[in-house]
Amino acid sequence: MRTKKLVSILVLILILSFAYFSYITALKNFTLSDKNSSYLGGIKFHRAAAGLEEGFQIAQQENKPVMMYFWAIWCQYCAKFQTDTLGNTQVKQILENDYVLVAMDLDIDREVAQQYSVSYPPYLVFMDTKGNVLQRVPGAVDANYLLPIVTKVRDDVRSK
Amino acid sequence: MITLGDTILYASLFLSVFALIGLLLKDLKNIDFLNKFVIPAIMAGAGLLTFSYLLLTYYFVSSDFAYDYVWQYSSSDLPLVYKISGAWAGQQGTYLLWVMVLFLSAAWLAWTTRHITKMARRTQIITLVTGIYLIILTLIQSPFKLILERPEVIDLIAQGSLPANFVPPEGNGLNALLVNFWMTVHPPLMFIGYATITIPFAAAIVYLLTKEDGWEELGRQWARFTWLFLGMGIAVGGVWAYLVLGWGGFWAWDPVETASFIPWLTLTGFLHAASHHRKNKSTFSIAAPILAIVSFILVLYAAIVVRSGLFNSVHAFGDTSTGTLLISGIAITTVVSIVLGMRRYFEEPDKVEEDLGFWSKTNIFYVTILLFVVLAFISFWGITFPAFIQLTQGLKVGVASDTKNFFNIWSYPFTIILLLALGFCLNYNEKQKEQQKKTLFIVMGLTIITMFLRTENFYVLDHNSPFWAREPSIYKLIGNISVISIFPSLIYATWSTIQRLQDYLRIKSIRPKIKGTGIAIVHFGIVFILFGAVISSNFTQTIEGVNIPLAAKGELVDIGNGYGVKIIDFSTRNLAETSNIQAAGTRISEIRSSPESYVNTNVKISGKVTSVVNLQSPPPVTYTTYMQIDDGTGSLWAATQAEEPLNIEEGMELTVNGFMMTNFRSNSTDTTYDLIIFSSPDEISQGVASGSYKVQSVKLEVYQDGKKIGSGAAEYLESKGGSGTFPLVDSSITGTDVYVIFQGLGGGVVPLTLKIIPAVNFAWIGILLFAIGIILIMAVRTKSKGE
Repeated sequence: MRTKKLVSILVLILILSFAYFSYITALKNFTLSDKNSSYLGGIKFHRAAAGLEEGFQIAQQENKPVMMYFWAIWCQYCAKFQTDTLGNTQVKQILENDYVLVAMDLDIDREVAQQYSVSYPPYLVFMDTKGNVLQRVPGAVDANYLLPIVTKVRDDVRSK
Repeated sequence: MITLGDTILYASLFLSVFALIGLLLKDLKNIDFLNKFVIPAIMAGAGLLTFSYLLLTYYFVSSDFAYDYVWQYSSSDLPLVYKISGAWAGQQGTYLLWVMVLFLSAAWLAWTTRHITKMARRTQIITLVTGIYLIILTLIQSPFKLILERPEVIDLIAQGSLPANFVPPEGNGLNALLVNFWMTVHPPLMFIGYATITIPFAAAIVYLLTKEDGWEELGRQWARFTWLFLGMGIAVGGVWAYLVLGWGGFWAWDPVETASFIPWLTLTGFLHAASHHRKNKSTFSIAAPILAIVSFILVLYAAIVVRSGLFNSVHAFGDTSTGTLLISGIAITTVVSIVLGMRRYFEEPDKVEEDLGFWSKTNIFYVTILLFVVLAFISFWGITFPAFIQLTQGLKVGVASDTKNFFNIWSYPFTIILLLALGFCLNYNEKQKEQQKKTLFIVMGLTIITMFLRTENFYVLDHNSPFWAREPSIYKLIGNISVISIFPSLIYATWSTIQRLQDYLRIKSIRPKIKGTGIAIVHFGIVFILFGAVISSNFTQTIEGVNIPLAAKGELVDIGNGYGVKIIDFSTRNLAETSNIQAAGTRISEIRSSPESYVNTNVKISGKVTSVVNLQSPPPVTYTTYMQIDDGTGSLWAATQAEEPLNIEEGMELTVNGFMMTNFRSNSTDTTYDLIIFSSPDEISQGVASGSYKVQSVKLEVYQDGKKIGSGAAEYLESKGGSGTFPLVDSSITGTDVYVIFQGLGGGVVPLTLKIIPAVNFAWIGILLFAIGIILIMAVRTKSKGE
């Protein structure tokens, strides 16, 4: 009986210290604050539902298409997607110059995500100035795949 | 509005409350007069719930979109099997399934025990309380709610935009990720498991309350049954994740996966504890019932994780408001079980049992059980504390820079210890204990030495991953352990299991032989699973960003690293076999049958363009396009004018929204159109919109150094409910999978990702062994003292 008690107490201490340790480590190292925009590839985005409205206004004034980027801080694929795909020099240049960009945090902007039937990140939705969806790009595609799409959508909207 | 389905649910609620009262009267006051109605009431309740489930399925099959839930998760163009499985695509339906299986279990319990023993009667009481709780949970968000009860629909009807008896013509559609065979079996397996755990839980509660014997016998088969179903449910979920892109292999430590894995772990602990408890009632007399109760609580917890929205999961297939009731359920059960457990602990007479020291079988077994608890806790904590921090401090935190790293590093050491304990216990022999301890120490020594072996990249954490550099030092320390260190304990466990199997096979009488074989097979299963998981996740070769022009069809294209891909064929098809286009807007046949109600109003139709007339008017130049649209039920002309020519061709699928006119005379085409829709170009869109499931399929062959190593079709499914990829998975006998993901055709290019995944078959074999083993164990009904 004594052995069991001893083992139980040891395991309890082990569990509690593990719990405490991982909790502190997470708070210290892995606070995921949206403010640092770490998953947005250093590109400026309008944010959230208000940003989308704002985005459409700008889009109509400047006749630019709107690209909505759904991401989440816990999304492993987004990290690579933002550096390699959105961060690709050619893609980035087109996006920054010819698009109105809106970012949606999948955890916060749930309603918008539902409205556009987006259920996982990363996910891009391309729209014209009136909000008609022109193209959807689900998943962490690479730059070679995305580049023709951003070019085509831009040209389509311009030619209208 | 109370629908037929709801009425049935209320009736079953009434019956179960009635049965509960009957049982309570009998149990507390020994009043018999209601008792004879109890069993029929439970049977009727189970029957009604089964009927209500079939009714829901019927609504799905007949695409009755008057029901909100059906509208949400189905559409008429889905193949039959996905209409049936749509019933368990969302929370409402799964709860109904859960409560149905629970009542079927209660009915079985009533039928087999007749509530003769106090134990059976009281277990039934707890089961019924749980059942009533679940019926209420189901009723709160009833699957039988009408679409007319949606606030936005109520508003639209009040404004007069919708008729008062509005029924949507088409459903919202099923999420593309759920359109997969494995997804049709995953939820029922899970929820059958969730439901059947109630009986061992109820029996354990009764035991803690009354100290009555026989609880373990009563719950034994149920616990094994739950273990099988829950385990297979999780495994099928893994197969599904493997076959649908985006989840990173068959196990990604997604909160929901993890949440369902936790009760399975504690249940495994329970099965181990129970196997000793039944031989000696004083062994694990608290640990065993507590583990059964904890498993049940964790099942409720898993239900919260799936639907609360607090957890960052890819499972966000529905959202909801039953959270509070679930949390209260958990809180009450937890408090009750802690109080009961404590009471038992202090009541337990101080047994003057001989302390056999650490190296006795019971104590090593106890360590094993605790290891399951530790592993369960690691998983529990990893999904729980981020949610807790978010709730209390409003901060989002991750558990590691890459979520799966957290679970992998902490689980790894304990998995090794578990394997060591497995090796020791399965080969335990009192007489040769010293010899066996020596073997164990040697294996332990080897494990520790191999931890330090340096390899290219075969460590607990992937050193090439971008996340590696960002992990804190202790995580790196564990992450630096060489995975070679799993092999000594893995081999030891295998060797022990073989020894044990030989012992079992030597037994003359057939029952223990079958049961022993089952036990050995289950333990082989875990060896296979771990081997497959470790090898496949560490040695997968990935070639990303392969773009093959469609024009290169039939040619072998080199994609680097000695691999090549040849595209054999590309095709698209509708998922539903009946290819009549069921489209957005009004069916043309409906318009044709009563044109008067559509003329001079806005009408939306969709279908295939069967003929096009393009005209150019004199300056100021405008382009007019006449197009005939056929939706399979009839055809109708539409026209539009634009300043630039429109690219409308025959064969295109279009949705057109516009103003309907009758008897329109066009001089330029020299035709009088009896009915025609005038539309602005903005109101014309490609595709037949809602609920169409289109599959792009690319047939290809994969070559390595000029030799064909795999072939098949990689598919991409697009629907209103999102898109999904269904990779080509070609397995070979050696266990290496050729895995090709196709992300959908873009700009005439077929984008592919090629993966070569070794040994994954071992994991699948291991899962099969789990199932075979536990079924063998269940097949043998061993007599025990209680019966």
